[in-house]
Amino acid sequence: MKALLRIAVASALNRRGTLALVVLSIALATALLLGLERLRTDIRAGFAQSVSGTDLVVGARTSPVQLMLYAVFRVGGATNNVSMDSIRAVEAHRAVAWVVPLSLGDSHRGRPVLGTTTAYFERFMYGDRQPLAFAAGRPFAGTLDGLYEAVIGAEIAQALGYAPGARITLTHGGGDTLAAEHADKPFTVVGVLARTGTPVDRTVHVSLEALEAIHLDWAGGAPIPGVRIPAEAARKFDLAPQQVTAALVGLKNRVAVFNVQRFVAEYEAEALLAVLPAVALDELWQVVGPAEQSLLAISVLVAVVSLASLVAVVLAGLNERRRELAVLRAVGAGPRHVLLLLAAEGALVTLAGALLGAAVAAALVLGAGPLLQREFGITLSAAAPTVAQWGLFGAVVAAGMLASLVPGWRAYRLSLADGLSPRT
Amino acid sequence: MLQLHDVHYAWPGGAECLAIERLVLQAGQTHFLHGPSGCGKSTLLGLMAGVLLARRGRVELLGQDWATLPAGRRDARRADHVGVIFQQFNLLPYLSVRDNVLLPTRFSGLRAQRCEGGPLAAATALLHRVGLGADLHGRRADALSVGQQQRVAAARALIGGPELVIADEPTSALDAARRDDFMALLLDACAAAGSTLVFVSHDERLAVRFDQRLDLPALNRAAVGVVA
Repeated sequence: MKALLRIAVASALNRRGTLALVVLSIALATALLLGLERLRTDIRAGFAQSVSGTDLVVGARTSPVQLMLYAVFRVGGATNNVSMDSIRAVEAHRAVAWVVPLSLGDSHRGRPVLGTTTAYFERFMYGDRQPLAFAAGRPFAGTLDGLYEAVIGAEIAQALGYAPGARITLTHGGGDTLAAEHADKPFTVVGVLARTGTPVDRTVHVSLEALEAIHLDWAGGAPIPGVRIPAEAARKFDLAPQQVTAALVGLKNRVAVFNVQRFVAEYEAEALLAVLPAVALDELWQVVGPAEQSLLAISVLVAVVSLASLVAVVLAGLNERRRELAVLRAVGAGPRHVLLLLAAEGALVTLAGALLGAAVAAALVLGAGPLLQREFGITLSAAAPTVAQWGLFGAVVAAGMLASLVPGWRAYRLSLADGLSPRT
Repeated sequence: MLQLHDVHYAWPGGAECLAIERLVLQAGQTHFLHGPSGCGKSTLLGLMAGVLLARRGRVELLGQDWATLPAGRRDARRADHVGVIFQQFNLLPYLSVRDNVLLPTRFSGLRAQRCEGGPLAAATALLHRVGLGADLHGRRADALSVGQQQRVAAARALIGGPELVIADEPTSALDAARRDDFMALLLDACAAAGSTLVFVSHDERLAVRFDQRLDLPALNRAAVGVVA
């Protein structure tokens, strides 16, 4: 009934002071639910897409989750290193097609530095088997001439304004502190990678030899006093890496993956671990799972509380509105019209709150996106709402409509009892 | 037009408060219903308008007994044929004066149809008739004085020409001067529309203006022994 709807809107606007608070609380609940859902979906997708085309990740024996977090997301710390001999033994296995060793430990302005071989740029894939592409420049040469060359990810180039030709120095360790800088051996940026939406974007890539070079005159995390090996002189030393953090392994035939995994686990010379990336990511999700569930549960509770407050506010105001309801009865509205009026009002308030909440959630995604990208290499997509988000939105509105039936029913009973002469 | 036959009514869980053997109201007449407070005037109005249902007996408006209709049809019939004026708080404060007068036409297609020149034109005409200038028509209802609001209520009760107009002490909240103005307006407008008016009040001085005078304590058999 159009007339009823107009009356409902006019009546609600008349009480917009109190109802505004209810709208805000419903908006908060909706924003939480929708935002959480978006976060959950995107983080999960981001995790799953961060590496593909790699059959195994090999590292020191630790938990698979920790290995993945460190090797792929460059978050956390390695418990132990792996000797290059072991990596070469894995490479020699007849089922193995390629191996890309990874070495982590240094950083630049808070972003991790990855030492690797030139094979990284050919073999590393992400998302839907997408290879790395260059937005500018080229990979580092991997030769002694091009020892101090670096390739940076898209986020670093954007945030710090680097382009090919820029000079950077690396910091020992993972912190932002300037104290332990490898200041005597600066690097030149020779390439900038295109944006991937993965932790690659925030990584500085250098050759394994270069990492050895900058640590020649260091021991135990600090420069050796009295020993200084200048950048040029370092080339004369044997820069073959002895240890790496982990290695990405590609197989000739995926069927052999469990064979190779067992081979690595039983390798006697060193305690090693080989993980299937997908399995490790699932395991990671199991760890995250309970946290996810509790956040969802809290959001649902917030929604319930805000809808309860809607019911409470409307119920409390019903006494004041008995005259209003009596007037409506007098002009020909029946008790069922009154019920519909109250229900329509509640539905409108819930809809307004839910829409506001959806807008807030979208704004939060836009606002927090760059932060998450910078810290974790995960991209939040400000894309169209997912099916789950529509479902949550619909659930909030439907719950609001149902909840409004409570004051609607009360108003129905009141108007029946009051008849033409309300007891006010 | 309106007939009550052997009507008995008791509030739920209470003793019988109303028992009327026979009451007939003629069409187009104005009736003054008086009696002391608590004797059941409002109850009788509720029965006449079909808001309350008699426990026993028949209440027939335009030949149709209220009790034979289901609740939804009763409400629709009341919207079509009955206009109501309360003592105070007659209007929805958040709607304009004009929208308040138009309310019955939104709930009753019959009354909307009966409006000459359409509901909006009829509302404007009625408002002028009760002495409210065009500058007030768009104002919020709660911006008017009590006297002005009562006049708007009269216009609202009369729009679309309902056959029965019920007024429950509409002048009790007005001062003497306003009261006389209002009475004149109401009676004049009812006569023009040809509606039957049932006017309830405890102020007997108003009775002279009406065609018929009804004394409820005399009519009400159940009044014997009731403490006022």
